[in-house]
Amino acid sequence: MNKTPLRLSGLIMTAVLGALAFGCGSSEPPAESVVTYGLTLSPTGIDPHLNASLELGIPLSSVYDTLVFQDPESGAFVPGLAETWEISEDGLEYTFSLRRDVRFHDGTPFNAQAVVANLDYILNPDNHSQRAAFMLGSLEEVTAVDDHTVRLRLAEPYAPLLDSLSQVYLGMASPAALDQWGPAEYQFHQVGTGPYRFVEYIPDDHLTLARNQAYDWAPSIYKQPEAPIDSFVFKFYVDPATRMLALQAGQVDIIGELPPRDAARIDQSQEFDLIPVTIPGQPLQLMFNTRQPPTDDLQLRRSLIMSVDRRTIVKTVFGDYSPVASGPLAAGTDGFGSDPALPDYDVEQALNILAEAGWVAGDEGVLSRDGVPLELKVVVPAWGSNPEVGQLIEAAWRNLGARVELTIAPGFGQLKELQAAGGYNAIAYYTFGADPDLLRSFFRSDGLYNWTGYEDPQLDLLLDRASQVTDDPDERRRLYGAVSEIVTDEALILPIRDYVDLVGFNRRVQGLHFGYQGWFPLLIDLSLAR
Amino acid sequence: MTFFALRATGGDPVANLLAQGLASPDQAATLRHTLGLDLPLWTQYIRFLVGLLRGDLGVSLYTSRNVSIVIGEQIPPTAALASAGLAVALILGLLLGVTAAWSRRKSVGDLASVLSSLALTLPVAVTGVASIVILNVFFHNSPGAPSVAGLQQLALPALVLGFASSGGIARLVQTGLAESLARPYVLAAKARGFAVGFRLLWHALRPALPPVVSLTALEASFLFSGTVVTETVFSRPGLGRLLVASILRGDFPVAQGIVVLAALLYTAGHVLADLLALAIDPRLRRQA
Amino acid sequence: MRRRVPIALPGVWLSLVVALSLFAPILAGHNPLQPVADPLSPPSAGAPLGTDSLGRDLWSRMLFGGRLSLGASVLAVSLTILAGGVAGLAAAMAGGWADRAIVWIANSALAIPGLLLAMLLVAAIGPGFPAVVLAVGVGGAPGFARLARSVFLQVKQGGFIAATAALGADPLWIAIRHVLPNSRPQLVSIMATHYAWALMGTITLTFLGLGGDPSVPEWGAMLNAGRVDLIGAPWAALWPALAISLTVLSVHAIADAIGRSSATARRSELET
Repeated sequence: MNKTPLRLSGLIMTAVLGALAFGCGSSEPPAESVVTYGLTLSPTGIDPHLNASLELGIPLSSVYDTLVFQDPESGAFVPGLAETWEISEDGLEYTFSLRRDVRFHDGTPFNAQAVVANLDYILNPDNHSQRAAFMLGSLEEVTAVDDHTVRLRLAEPYAPLLDSLSQVYLGMASPAALDQWGPAEYQFHQVGTGPYRFVEYIPDDHLTLARNQAYDWAPSIYKQPEAPIDSFVFKFYVDPATRMLALQAGQVDIIGELPPRDAARIDQSQEFDLIPVTIPGQPLQLMFNTRQPPTDDLQLRRSLIMSVDRRTIVKTVFGDYSPVASGPLAAGTDGFGSDPALPDYDVEQALNILAEAGWVAGDEGVLSRDGVPLELKVVVPAWGSNPEVGQLIEAAWRNLGARVELTIAPGFGQLKELQAAGGYNAIAYYTFGADPDLLRSFFRSDGLYNWTGYEDPQLDLLLDRASQVTDDPDERRRLYGAVSEIVTDEALILPIRDYVDLVGFNRRVQGLHFGYQGWFPLLIDLSLAR
Repeated sequence: MTFFALRATGGDPVANLLAQGLASPDQAATLRHTLGLDLPLWTQYIRFLVGLLRGDLGVSLYTSRNVSIVIGEQIPPTAALASAGLAVALILGLLLGVTAAWSRRKSVGDLASVLSSLALTLPVAVTGVASIVILNVFFHNSPGAPSVAGLQQLALPALVLGFASSGGIARLVQTGLAESLARPYVLAAKARGFAVGFRLLWHALRPALPPVVSLTALEASFLFSGTVVTETVFSRPGLGRLLVASILRGDFPVAQGIVVLAALLYTAGHVLADLLALAIDPRLRRQA
Repeated sequence: MRRRVPIALPGVWLSLVVALSLFAPILAGHNPLQPVADPLSPPSAGAPLGTDSLGRDLWSRMLFGGRLSLGASVLAVSLTILAGGVAGLAAAMAGGWADRAIVWIANSALAIPGLLLAMLLVAAIGPGFPAVVLAVGVGGAPGFARLARSVFLQVKQGGFIAATAALGADPLWIAIRHVLPNSRPQLVSIMATHYAWALMGTITLTFLGLGGDPSVPEWGAMLNAGRVDLIGAPWAALWPALAISLTVLSVHAIADAIGRSSATARRSELET
């Protein structure tokens, strides 16, 4: 048997494979320091002034500076591009004295006119800002009093204003760049004043930042090591299964939103470390549609909540990393008082309540009342383990005796479409933020995200009042406590877990820490181990 | 064809945009007009074709970027995977086919034959997943663990993809070679004491090659469907992933653009296969 | 000469799979949707195949999953055969411009690789099982139509039928009474191969996540779900992978065998 042709083919094969394996995965050490960061969502657009994605903030909060910054530990507001500020007695006027020594990455000076230009850009209805515009509340007018003083006037007191002004969505961009590129193209040519310059962005592929060598000041919250990182490359890992692999293969140095099981494995590793970051805001929750039978019935909603073993679901899907939630706000959020009294897991009691309400067992074990079977439509988005939670809740409700139809919305657009179409009984959506005013758009009668359809003038009053209390944090907490009580008593939501971002990183990266909002790393504070 | 399938039953893409909050009602009206959705379906089709000829595939509904650019960005990783896969398919196919037809030991030949059958019928999803398991199970605790993950980036997907396509090639090589080995002139060469080995193999193999070359060109176009699954299994970036994502997101222009591209490649593959066959085998040329 | 796998093995496997699917409700120990133990636990007394990432019994899920995978693919291939068969028969019997039109439509549809065509259809309808069945069914139709048409043409040219036509019999009657029955041996082989394709197509589409509700067990979707935890707990993906491989291989083997036997039957027919 002549083995020569075979051996030759085998040789060629090995050579090809070897070339392939070798060609990727190895890279020469760069002359300057580069850190690769893994992002998880691929946003539709990355202009923080116009788009709503949280993911974009991870790179871009280092490209922009904001008027004020928020201390990552205490949440106190410290000077940023504004050196000092004054709030009028009635809470309607904010006057900011701006720094004089700051220039944008394109060389143009930062001044009051720039602030005005930015706010105009955000508030321009033609630009359709999806987040920043809403963060400005009752803002009526912005004036440049002189080159270095800017005044914001509100129609009503708006407590979250400083919180908004400390976030990347209200970061200051170069007016020249905004003018030059316009709302559609600007996202690819962003110019700020921050410690890192925006280099390039190829959607779904990568985004590059390079250190701004001319950055000669910094807010007090930046620690700024001796040798900050020269450049950051952000890559996208939409599929959760790939994130751990990417970290292990050395494709990324840092990556967030690791699946809990993968994160657990990092604890045993020498090379990698894990930071669980608690994210303030809303917990992962289901909102009940109070306008759609059968969830228009309070008793039914209560029994649905009681039939779900939230603790076990959280343990199954999230391991030990997430606290179980019990109210509309996550424990780390400012307005969080104490855990509202959500009914305990008790299937028997749930069944009792249903029986009392007139639900009887029908065919195939499905409950029915007046001949109408208990049918529930549940919609959850495809991200963040929502499908898994959705499946377990579906199982619990089927166990109870309901017919459940679970729909997974692949993206935010589809989620909104399904919501707009109506007909759903429970839908999962939540947002993040340190200021509890975010509850307003969810629970106010006319709120943009009032997907429960619940209308209560008293609740509206509480929410409005709480957003206007600018100087009394205790009063605010009390008000939001009252809001939580109403939400719980009316069984408007099924809260599941407080969000914890599991960030894995290579130990060669040091100094990794995150801002007060939880999602955004302070990139300038990173350095590489020698 | 693609155009009709998507547009006729797909519903109103602009309504989708509205729902996503990306456009206000009057912007929607303007957008409709710009996209030409308010024109009758036939007119839209003509415009689409004309645009196609000019290389303009429209605008993504998800990111408002030019579809050609969006697709263009994803071509390199898919092309890399596809070419690597094709190389593997060719090499593996030759290897298996030659072994099956040439080897003196029946068991080895049978093994090669079985492998090519497996390659032909097993779904890529299964072989992909299996390969990940095997790789990780065997190399899990070795110090080379990080490079295992690295292998998974290109080498393993290319291997899996190539394996799937190699079955057809292997079969063809096997039958072709077996046939020509039985030919009188080969036997005569053997009898004349031609050095058994490569040279003999080459002489026997040559007549079997034309259909193989055609098939390879065909497989190249099949490869695209394979990359869709492979990219998903190994979570590689590329056109396949983009296609699945755009379908789930309701981004019709991008999905349409990719499928049109695939159809073009597919047809080009067929044409290339025919041309190659003509070029290589003079007999066919005479017939043509 | 290659040794061929004896037909008994695939036949046994397929019968087993079909039987298990039919009797799934009786054989499954647990409700496939309810968690019964810790997630990703290895095989045990309560869960003979282990549990998936949400703690559901894999044995029950495999049983019901097989039902859905096989059922959906059978539905899909029936659609293919019906649509493609009718089109092919119409083309073969009618001839002329109708034939050319049908062939042209089939050819242009065939310009798109089958899997992509199916994906496109799912894109238009929206993910879900009905969409997958429809997509796979319609996706395979052009190919089947073309093959069926050539078979019908061949049969139609057979002496007896040509004679009947010459006598002025109604084409529809000829089609049903004569062409169809005589085409059967060849058609069955083609149908079997198309079933193999339909099975793979269904599983691939659900694997890519286009099958709708993920809690409903189905082999392709289960394979995808198991993919996430491959390193720590490979069995969640292992059982679907094994089942899919064995079933697809068996179907191919049987399709091959049918093809071979119909070829020999044809040969012997010609000899008589």
